[in-house]
Amino acid sequence: MDTREMRTQIENIDTLPTIPSILRKLLAVIEKPKISINEIGSFIANDPVLTSRVLKVVNSPIYGFPGRISSLNQALILLGLNVVRGMLLGVSVFEAMQKTMVGLWEHSLGCAIASRIIAKKKGLKEPEEISIAGLLHDIGKVVMGLKFPEEYGIAIADAQHRQIFMIDAEKKQFNISHADAGGWISLKWNFPQNLVEPIEYHHKPHLSKTVPMQTAVVHFADVLTRAAGFGFSGDNFVPAVHPFVWQQLDLSEGDLKEIVSEFEDSLGQAEDFLLSDE
Amino acid sequence: MKRVSVELLKPGAKLAKPVVNDSGMILIGEGTVLKDSHIDRLQSMSISSVFIEGTAGPLKTREELLAELDARFQKTEGEPYMLIVKRMFKDYIDGMSI
Repeated sequence: MDTREMRTQIENIDTLPTIPSILRKLLAVIEKPKISINEIGSFIANDPVLTSRVLKVVNSPIYGFPGRISSLNQALILLGLNVVRGMLLGVSVFEAMQKTMVGLWEHSLGCAIASRIIAKKKGLKEPEEISIAGLLHDIGKVVMGLKFPEEYGIAIADAQHRQIFMIDAEKKQFNISHADAGGWISLKWNFPQNLVEPIEYHHKPHLSKTVPMQTAVVHFADVLTRAAGFGFSGDNFVPAVHPFVWQQLDLSEGDLKEIVSEFEDSLGQAEDFLLSDE
Repeated sequence: MKRVSVELLKPGAKLAKPVVNDSGMILIGEGTVLKDSHIDRLQSMSISSVFIEGTAGPLKTREELLAELDARFQKTEGEPYMLIVKRMFKDYIDGMSI
């Protein structure tokens, strides 16, 4: 299959019979270019599972709001439309994530937490939005796993067997990677650019043109999550930090030390928020 | 309670939730201490993971944590900056009260 055909297949994932029904319903809502916060709110409120998941994630260490958020409306107002849209997508693909790869949800959650911590340390304006980019950075693995379950299974087994990076196993099997697939699907789903680029370029951060800082944060958050050994994303190896990211973030050793320590402490609490206790 | 992939189950683990099939029928009850025969059965079915009792797994010693850290960094330790990143995590493990 050539790349163009692959892209078409990935973009038409909505039509798959195996797609989780909650995700199918959600896509019908979020693919609308203009959607109000009220529409999103009533969509969530109509689904008790979704409501409880959203509240769980909102109160998790991904955000670090000191007080607990108990109502959906409060969450929507605090986080804003883009964050809630992204988070909804994250919690809707939760089962598919677990099915694709046991541990991928934890990896994504870890990356969201690390993204927020780094963004805050850098004084960036919207750490919550960046953490959503962290939560969704591996969405391409989910769509590849949903669309091509057999072939993706082969790539997973290959990464395991040859002890190589998952992204290299994907390229061998498909000629594309989850970052490509994630970029395509996030354009199709009308994600804002500050989500598209971190998803598409988290392995090639120097290519991010419009939001290089956000992309750098997600790239580094991915490295830190793997370094902490939290969750599983297809292999057990820490990828190298791209020199562009190191320069872009320009963190002192003191900053790094504080980031790692806050991150590890948050992961210790994250166990309670893995959605696995439903 | 934690979720464990069926491939990684070991005999002696106690189910924190019943294992049910797609139509909701209970296959193995909550509280069952798994034997090899249960695990074989689970692995032959289309069930990917189950809930077992216990928290984040057995607590690891500092040596085990450091050995795992080494293993994770084995491919990229020689790349620029990676020794600094690794040292941050090593320092954190060293500072833990274990």
